[in-house]
Amino acid sequence: MASNTRIILICSGKGGVGKTTLTANLGVALAKQGVRTVVLDADFGLRNLDLLLGLENRIVYTAQEVLEETCRLDQALVKHKQEPNLALLPAGNPRMLDWLKPDDMQRIVTMLTKEFSYVLIDCPAGVEDGFKNAVAASKEAIIVTNPEVSAVRDADRVIGLLNTNGIKPVQLVLNRVRPQMIANQEMLSVDDVTDILALPLLGLVLEDQQVIVSTNRGEPLTLSDNNSPASHCYSNIARRLQGEQIPLIDPSKEGSGLRNKFMRLMQTKIF
Amino acid sequence: MEKHKTQTDKNFLNLPYLKNSDWREALKLKLSDIKSGGVELNCKDWYFNCRDLKEVISIIQRSGFKLLLIESNIPTTIVSASALGIKADLYIEAGENTQTTNINSKLDSLSKPLFHQGILRSGENIEADGDLFLHGDVNPGAKVSAGGNIMVWGRLLGIAHAGKGGEENAKIAALQLRPLQLRIANQVARGPQEEPEAGLAEEAFLDRQQIVIRPVQIKSFYKTN
Repeated sequence: MASNTRIILICSGKGGVGKTTLTANLGVALAKQGVRTVVLDADFGLRNLDLLLGLENRIVYTAQEVLEETCRLDQALVKHKQEPNLALLPAGNPRMLDWLKPDDMQRIVTMLTKEFSYVLIDCPAGVEDGFKNAVAASKEAIIVTNPEVSAVRDADRVIGLLNTNGIKPVQLVLNRVRPQMIANQEMLSVDDVTDILALPLLGLVLEDQQVIVSTNRGEPLTLSDNNSPASHCYSNIARRLQGEQIPLIDPSKEGSGLRNKFMRLMQTKIF
Repeated sequence: MEKHKTQTDKNFLNLPYLKNSDWREALKLKLSDIKSGGVELNCKDWYFNCRDLKEVISIIQRSGFKLLLIESNIPTTIVSASALGIKADLYIEAGENTQTTNINSKLDSLSKPLFHQGILRSGENIEADGDLFLHGDVNPGAKVSAGGNIMVWGRLLGIAHAGKGGEENAKIAALQLRPLQLRIANQVARGPQEEPEAGLAEEAFLDRQQIVIRPVQIKSFYKTN
């Protein structure tokens, strides 16, 4: 199994575009499909992947203790409550930043590959040491970006760095897409983004208020079988990662249903 | 003769050309010949990404030397080296048989254009002593500069500086010229705001100390100054 393990870095450059949310939801979605998945929080300074998964109070040991060999790897891994196929390896405390080296990161990931088919690494924002550590351990990458000029610019910079580090393939997830704003030309369109970044699009995630609700609850959207738009998008991304051919949603057709038409009518000021 | 010792504290090393040879072994062999000081490494036509270059650095450091400079005639290697914060210089050969760098061959090389293929992304930059020819886009946030002309077979959306040594006849041309900023010699201009006409290659040049943009005129471009 070790050689087939996919080690995927989830990064963006800019903060707050949805790296951690994507990692958590993708982890759950993959685990639901029956593949052994581990999510690794590489954001040692400001960790919150455990929060999103609702596992904060179950952490006993962290990656730091594993590296110091004061505990075994299986002691540090936190199994998810509902999804036994999903595990979290929590980041160490922020002081760990000083001594963590790319080699350490590689050691941790190598240990994980023995047991899991997917290793998802939640990369910290920025392109400094935390990013370099995470890149050193990864084989492929998913770039998360929003349809905003600043997010796209940072993503472009990160793609350049990934290319020079020999990470392949690099795929793109466009997060927080608002079809209505794109239709009104108030937001960068999907084409605008892929045009600049020149990457294959792994998926679009529609803007969805449910994401905030689920984040605060510590239950990723993909966990329950609800029909929220973002949940659907995340599941599709997971299936595409597994090699399934699923057509991308078309934002211009999104929201053409009767209910959405009515909602739009409510929003437009016709009176 | 591939190794030159000009000063006591600098060693110039050349990697061999042979593609099927192992550069790691070659580098170790060459390092075993020198005694102390810093190393200036000419990587010739090896394509090195950041990972390879990190290995180069660690091999040099393990042998007890310090890497001062990377020379290469491959832009990819230069871009990777700059990404790692290593001082990097482009090296172009004068003829088939020359194995060493000397001042004369470097001067000859000024007239030879530097060719680079691929997207130049935000934060990356490429510099040429003479003309620069790019096959690919220059994304916003990326920077290209050249002592001579800059030609982009693609979109120029970043910053371009032609004639950086003060050459006022230098030009910048691109299939789509929509840069953030243009610089020719000592003049600076913001890029045009409006969408350019599709399928119309444009060029920028200096006219009475002002940067002007017009459709590319083939005759004017290849006219010797």
